[in-house]
Amino acid sequence: MGHGAKDEKEFNVIVLVKQVPEAEDVRIDPDTGRLDRSSAEAVTNPFDLNAIEVANRIKERLGGKVTCISMGPLRADSTLRDSLARGCDRGILLSDKKFGGADTLATSYTLSCAIKKIGSFDLIVCGEKTTDGDTGQVGPEVAEQLDIPHACFVEEIKAITESSLVVRRKTENGYMILELKLPALISVTKDINEPPLPLLKNKIKARKAEIETWSASDLSEIGDVERFGLTGSPTRVVNVGSPHVEKETMMIEGGSSREKAKKLVDILEDLGFL
Amino acid sequence: MSSSEYEGVMVFAQQKDGKVHPVTYELLGKGREMADKIGESLFCVLLGSGMEEVDELIYHGADRVFLYDDPSLQEFNVLHYKKCIVDLVEEEKPKIFLLGATTIGRSLGPRVAAALRTGLTADCTSLDVDEEGNLIQIRPAFSGSVMATIKTPKSRPQMATVRYRVMEEAKRDTSRRGEAIKKRARIEDTRIRVLERKEFEGEGSIVDADIIVSGGRGLKKAEDLRIIREVADLLKGAVGASRPIVDDRWIGRQHQVGLSGNTVRPKLYIACGISGSVQHLAGMRNSNFIIAINKDPSAPIFKEAHYGFVEDLYELLPELIAEIKRRRGMKTACITERSMRI
Amino acid sequence: MYYGKVDENLIKELKNICGSKYVITDKDQMLGYRTDETIEAEKMLRVPFPDAVVKPRFVEEISEVLKLSNKKRIPVTPRGGGTGLSGGVIPVYGGIVLSMENMNKIIEIDKENLMVVLEAGVALGDLYKAVEREGFFFPPHPGDEGAQIGGAIATNAGGARTVKYGTMRSFVKGIEVVLPTGEVLNLGGKLLKNNTGYALMHLIIGSEGTLGVITKATLKLLPSSAAPMILVVPYSNRHDAIKTVLEILRGGVIPLGIEYMEREAMERSEEYLGRKWPTEKGEGCLMVMITGKDEDEIFSRSECIMRICEANKALDIFMAEQKRDQENVMEIRSKMYEALKGDMMALFDITVPPGRMGKFMKKVEEVSEKYGVSMSTYGHAGDGNVHVHLMKTDVKKYEKIKEELYEEGSRMGGVISGEHGIGLLRIGDLHISRDRKEIELMKKIKKVFDPNGILNPGKIFPA
Repeated sequence: MGHGAKDEKEFNVIVLVKQVPEAEDVRIDPDTGRLDRSSAEAVTNPFDLNAIEVANRIKERLGGKVTCISMGPLRADSTLRDSLARGCDRGILLSDKKFGGADTLATSYTLSCAIKKIGSFDLIVCGEKTTDGDTGQVGPEVAEQLDIPHACFVEEIKAITESSLVVRRKTENGYMILELKLPALISVTKDINEPPLPLLKNKIKARKAEIETWSASDLSEIGDVERFGLTGSPTRVVNVGSPHVEKETMMIEGGSSREKAKKLVDILEDLGFL
Repeated sequence: MSSSEYEGVMVFAQQKDGKVHPVTYELLGKGREMADKIGESLFCVLLGSGMEEVDELIYHGADRVFLYDDPSLQEFNVLHYKKCIVDLVEEEKPKIFLLGATTIGRSLGPRVAAALRTGLTADCTSLDVDEEGNLIQIRPAFSGSVMATIKTPKSRPQMATVRYRVMEEAKRDTSRRGEAIKKRARIEDTRIRVLERKEFEGEGSIVDADIIVSGGRGLKKAEDLRIIREVADLLKGAVGASRPIVDDRWIGRQHQVGLSGNTVRPKLYIACGISGSVQHLAGMRNSNFIIAINKDPSAPIFKEAHYGFVEDLYELLPELIAEIKRRRGMKTACITERSMRI
Repeated sequence: MYYGKVDENLIKELKNICGSKYVITDKDQMLGYRTDETIEAEKMLRVPFPDAVVKPRFVEEISEVLKLSNKKRIPVTPRGGGTGLSGGVIPVYGGIVLSMENMNKIIEIDKENLMVVLEAGVALGDLYKAVEREGFFFPPHPGDEGAQIGGAIATNAGGARTVKYGTMRSFVKGIEVVLPTGEVLNLGGKLLKNNTGYALMHLIIGSEGTLGVITKATLKLLPSSAAPMILVVPYSNRHDAIKTVLEILRGGVIPLGIEYMEREAMERSEEYLGRKWPTEKGEGCLMVMITGKDEDEIFSRSECIMRICEANKALDIFMAEQKRDQENVMEIRSKMYEALKGDMMALFDITVPPGRMGKFMKKVEEVSEKYGVSMSTYGHAGDGNVHVHLMKTDVKKYEKIKEELYEEGSRMGGVISGEHGIGLLRIGDLHISRDRKEIELMKKIKKVFDPNGILNPGKIFPA
């Protein structure tokens, strides 16, 4: 009877992924506040690769299925294909004009509606943050919208069963060990694992794979369309400006390295650091 | 939801082992300034067990401190903390709610905001308020290449997490008076259990260091970090690092300076072989004094530095170490001479 | 050969020509101008200080410096980025080191003719960036991006992309060169065909700074293609990997580069850099770089290559598509030499016909066992160019190992250097790859260009 019950229920993991510009330092025109797209090749958010790897390892242990969800424009399907190439089983893209302009609240609301539509799940994994938005808020906000426990900054999975999870969570100068009842959400740090490169044959397969695309109307039975996108977003970006006034720098270029070292020590002495 | 019934500024006081985290005093400093500007009160909410620093919160500007003192709140449990704060905010209805952008604030803030269905601006480096009480939130965006100004026009409270070490700490004034209100925690949730907490001993966080010597991509290999370490040791400072060498695991992430690591504000910051990506600059530009060493005269780091040394770190640092040692040697010699004369 | 002395008068004259700021005689400041990246132990000759380092800014200055040097019989050693691996820039006879570092302007990117015109001191890294910005691609990539274009031409540099595009020679269309006697010649031009007498330009290319000082170059560019893909393919043995390479070369899809690395060298580089190679599988790995006009083309080419790899028992076929992943593997690959350098005795650059490469590597293994010395190898597998890293051992063993490997390489129809050149290092071994008459002709040519033997003396053959 025991194993009969086990066979019935699959362990389902959901990974939240996002497509971001690849460039380290994305160029923005400070006058218009527009993104310089020419420098911005789109890739899967690097933190999400760690999340996918966590999901893959859990699948190895407990079996089941890994579904990845992303919200973004239609071209973000390449990120879902990338996730499939890296071992996920199913990809769902949430794409609709009505989702556009969403802040973290509206994004997490939309994602949580999609997760409800998928139905049963045991664990949601996301990266610590995205390299473009850089807030790290969507994960915990999704957890709240779904009313499940969460842990951020997870740097190690200590134990996992069908009903609970023990994680090590990073703090400023140490860590905490937390036990979470499932279903739960975790956001994982870069240090949790080394995501391997995808296999070429999986990538080729993923290029031809079907990516399910859900629009606002697909979620309208579950959620309130008014809470999607810009209309559902309480925050507004009102201005984008140049970061800083430049300092006046005293440059020391000439002379031997010995002379420069002396000069530097003089400065440190003058400032009282020696 | 009418925004007129919301009043005052509320600050989340983060504690560990009963000790209030210093970011709290920075939030109180900014909170006090904004509360005064709109002529309203400054509240503070403190959760923990056996808390003693309530008076300190008042000395640092709080008009009213809401204290939740319960064993279940001793360690940070996001569900327990969220429940208390959401209940309190619904009762007290502050206009503005601030948290430190610490690993605790970043976990708790979004959860509270989502529960209250309001906006939350992450990682603010500057805050202001207009006469109507609208919070003006400024944060670095796109790796710090631009500063975005964000408002939360309709929803209340307006929530923000604020970077540690970017705002001035509130002045302590023991003559200040305020009210402490004890609240009861009503907690039943058992879905998260804190099994253990550990703090690493030894080196403190670089965030608290007065002097930081940082290395970056100008270093050719991991073991060369020892040159940086030696300079840091001589100056009694901490070792910092830019993201690329942290990503390569040459040094632990706790040493990383930059938007995705630690924002630092030491008295002296020496950047060695760091070109200065926008995200690194955003993490150190508020340092009191910045010295940059880089062989490329066009490296962006020089724009943020007070002194820029155009030189290969492999050339300059050994000379620097020798020079410091030499002068120290001289100085000790002088002192000995003088003490001998006496 | 008799050489004149660099005295105060001559320094004064040099300062008059180039400006006193650009003439250095301080020993501390000349430290970095004595040698290149060649392994210390391998430089069996002393590395002397030059008498002066001159850093001219204009071709006219170089012409004057050479005229003066020729008159006074002062040795002149031209110097680029100093990244060479055969001691080609060591000022064996002292005299003047002529550093090209201040001639670093990109003069023109000609979009109509797909050419770039630039000064010889431009660093390769800067060239790549500049042409990329304009939507072009310059294929030759010898490895160290600090190398300068003049040096890369003078040594006919190769590198990882030679499989598809050939060496520097294939891309140099024109040069400005100053002869040791001071005359300035302009050879070639923005032309793709040029049959007008002897191809003197091609004589200068690869002459290792012994015939003239290259001051300017016109290089052919290609339109930039989609970002390349890198496949990382581990194998349990070398035989399968090398067989794969040959079949890929026959298969019709020529990749940008095929590199073969063995585990030991990879691990050393990983450790040195603090990076991690993407797979722990296999004794050796192929790294295959694939380009195409768009993603579809790249994938269809990759698929062809995948089939060949699979048919030859590849353990896995990983794909590095994102920039940071590519950077990671490229970095580990390109820093291997640096990682091993400290413990090395010699780096051999033997090149054999590609089909013989597997056999040659087998020989390396045998020799390694015979003498009990570690010799990790990697190679530009598509070119038959095998880099053998001989770890520190005694000089006698070194001589014997060298002899055996050179002999075996020659027997297979190979040469003692595929890309690093003769320089100072292989001066006594040139006869292994070239016969007497050839060397005699080379010496006569040298005499025609440089009657007083002042330009980079003691390189390729004794002065």
